[in-house]
Amino acid sequence: MLEGILEILIKTVVILGIPLGALPIIIHVERRGAGFIQRRLGPNRVGPFGLLQPLADVAKFMFKEEVHPSHVRPFFYTAAPVIALTVALLPLACIPLAAPFDVFGTTYFPEVFRSDMGIFFAFAVSALGSYGILLAGWASNSKFTMLGALRACAQMVSYELSLSTAIVAMIFVFGTNDIHQIAAAQTGYWFGFLPKWGVFMQPLAAMLFLVGIFAESNRLPFDLAEGESEIVAGYHLEYSSMKFAIFFMAEYVHMIALSALFIIFFFGGYSVLPGLDLISTDSSPFVLPVLQAVSFITKIAVMIWIFVWVRWTLPRFRYDQLMDLGWRRLLPLGIVNLIATVLFVYFRNQ
Amino acid sequence: MEFLSFIIFLIIATALGLVLMFISNFLGKKVKITRKNDIYESGVNPVGSATRQYDIKFYLTAILFLLFDVEIVFLLPWALNYHNAANTGFMVAGFVFFMVVLLVGYIFVINSKALKWEE
Amino acid sequence: MISDIFLTIITMAFALMVVFSKKTVVAAFALLMTLLSIAMIYFQLGTVFLSAIQVLVNAGAVAILFVFVMMLINLEQFQNNREKGKAKLIISSVTVLVILGVFALIINNNIEVLTSNNIADNSMKALFEKLFNVYYLPFEMATVLLLAALVACVVITGQDKAVAKEEGAKHE
Repeated sequence: MLEGILEILIKTVVILGIPLGALPIIIHVERRGAGFIQRRLGPNRVGPFGLLQPLADVAKFMFKEEVHPSHVRPFFYTAAPVIALTVALLPLACIPLAAPFDVFGTTYFPEVFRSDMGIFFAFAVSALGSYGILLAGWASNSKFTMLGALRACAQMVSYELSLSTAIVAMIFVFGTNDIHQIAAAQTGYWFGFLPKWGVFMQPLAAMLFLVGIFAESNRLPFDLAEGESEIVAGYHLEYSSMKFAIFFMAEYVHMIALSALFIIFFFGGYSVLPGLDLISTDSSPFVLPVLQAVSFITKIAVMIWIFVWVRWTLPRFRYDQLMDLGWRRLLPLGIVNLIATVLFVYFRNQ
Repeated sequence: MEFLSFIIFLIIATALGLVLMFISNFLGKKVKITRKNDIYESGVNPVGSATRQYDIKFYLTAILFLLFDVEIVFLLPWALNYHNAANTGFMVAGFVFFMVVLLVGYIFVINSKALKWEE
Repeated sequence: MISDIFLTIITMAFALMVVFSKKTVVAAFALLMTLLSIAMIYFQLGTVFLSAIQVLVNAGAVAILFVFVMMLINLEQFQNNREKGKAKLIISSVTVLVILGVFALIINNNIEVLTSNNIADNSMKALFEKLFNVYYLPFEMATVLLLAALVACVVITGQDKAVAKEEGAKHE
């Protein structure tokens, strides 16, 4: 019993530690990447290549004055950032970094809790992400925050629909919902060179899912919730110091979690990257899990770079364009894709 | 065991947020200026309350999302069960009926002005 | 066992909060917490799928609608405006009677109740099989019901074409 709890604690610390430890790096990459894309330098003064800049920022956030405006609803105002961060972290609980592996006769599962329905759990919990934003906007009791929360919420629910159709299509194609089986189904090659990734089976679903995760995590070109030129800073306008930083952490963690889901469905999850699978895994039971974890984290890193790239390349949508895209373009595309997939599979098996 | 893992994860994740928030509460300096605690309104005095009536389309978006979401969630167990089903033709016929009704509803919504934002 | 009792108490506490809280938004949030605690009970029973669906549909869609509406309409003016006196008494006694009736049905007919002993994630497969064989027609009819709801909410809010035309005629 005690051993079990210790195992859970270790897993929890690792699973929480990886994304939170990577946050400063991601933020640095984002700022340097912005500089690179816009042909300027970006932060380069603090430490070598400006690497210590994120740490300096964290220290600054901690020592800043915490403004507690007089017009807010205190309980919900304080609760909102915590809820946003917790909800963003929860989907990570059932995302495995590697396949289950045997060491000295014991099988270890590299995820915090093991369930064959884990993927639904992750998806459902990440859909709760709108509550933190809604709560922050309402509790701040200002017109700008209210508008930001309203926009964010309407946008997130609209794009969740096309996201769900993509998930149903993928579940149908794989015929299973166990993350390990989905990863196993995507291991190997077609014609000897093309990885068996979901993106090659369902390119349309992959596109819908990608657009969906951009909208769900409120990143450009879908950051209507915090459109500076329209509503100042949106839902976190009245927040300062660490509370403000927590919203940003939540946004980045949400990005990581959604990217992990995207990779599980469309880029083989933790299946070993082409090239890395040439390494022999017989020498030790740890080689394969390490390779898988490295592959998974590399894929997520590439996804994060795509997020950064898109953010500094595309301009923001107008609100009616955003709703139009979600409801009149992506949702029918998702439904048609689903029908076509089901009919194709049915008639192929006849 | 799964539930225990989940609860431990939930508690640690929540504690993390709380700790981070209270760090700046302890470390940050505190200045009491009433003007600073005012509502943000680009430098002018706020007019009226923040809770006012907003466009009905926001509510419609929420309720239409609810209805479509229920329909799509119905398809999740369907997609899971399809490969175990004895009679796949029966399953697909049901699916096609389901989707046709869904599409009829969708076309009705699109033809109404419920989701037309540009005016 | 401990978690059983604990979860039950939490769920009951939040449910009571929905009924007795004076502020509508607090009531809406208590409703959300009730739904999430029910999801936790499903999870604790070992049915992660039901739990996920509960979170996705009830907490993620139904409750968000409530919270959305309560937050964004100026409800301060409607506070303390709940049903008083006779209406309250009648509504609550009818509700209690219905709940007692359901209990009586369960006990009388020996309907199996979910406990951690007779449910697990693989019994989801059995549930699906029932759903897509015996109950396939009700399953299909659910979509017709949803279609009716869809049409109703568009028509009631006056966003359908007919009303739009009428308004246009008035303006002219």
